[in-house]
Amino acid sequence: MRRDVFQAIADPTRREIIGLISQQSLNLNALADHFEISRPAVSKHIKILMECGLLAIRQDGRERYCEPRLQKIQEVAAWAEKYREFWSQKLGALANFLDSENQPK
Amino acid sequence: MKAEPLVLERTLNAPVASVWDALTNNAKMKQWYFDIADFKPEIGFEFQFYGSKDDKRYLHLCKITELIPEKRLTYTWKYENFPGESAVTFELFEEGAQTRLKLTHAGLESFTTDNPDFAASSFNAGWTFIIGTSLKDFVEGKNNN
Repeated sequence: MRRDVFQAIADPTRREIIGLISQQSLNLNALADHFEISRPAVSKHIKILMECGLLAIRQDGRERYCEPRLQKIQEVAAWAEKYREFWSQKLGALANFLDSENQPK
Repeated sequence: MKAEPLVLERTLNAPVASVWDALTNNAKMKQWYFDIADFKPEIGFEFQFYGSKDDKRYLHLCKITELIPEKRLTYTWKYENFPGESAVTFELFEEGAQTRLKLTHAGLESFTTDNPDFAASSFNAGWTFIIGTSLKDFVEGKNNN
């Protein structure tokens, strides 16, 4: 199975995990407590997020904290932004073209 | 229901008929859009163009799928040799002597993966999450190494 950003965030639980750890790093227990599903089920989601490079675990003494690695999401957002910029530029060009057509000759 | 991550609107200082002509007359399109050798405003018409004169990597392949004169124009938009297919829709709304143009570019997410089994519905939720939520603001604001 491919592991990529979209696969990671296709699941609503994983999206919620990312949302939570984006606000603050959480240790595994605190994170699991947020969900009604079983701890192993949460661990499985965390593992998938790690495989997709969106989550890393930092050891701090006895605690293990889940931290976001959002570089990839940033890349996708940036890429989508390029299309927005492209169209914005084209619509600007259209507006200019129509204005120039309207000019009295 | 599909997520529409990319919608832009612009009010143009020209009547609907002029805007429609600018969108469908290739002599005019060449001046603001792309150099398209031939364009017939007919459903099913296929056309192609390069994104840039200097960069010939991306041949755009398009086919008109919707056409209501002076109201709505949709064509598919994909790249030769790359997976995925998107659709661009231009909608025109008359506002006195001006025209409001609404542009929608749907299906962009299909360009980002080469996994054909990945269900579109899975994309939509994830896509909206990336593009539409405050996560995006967070991502842009926070330093992540």
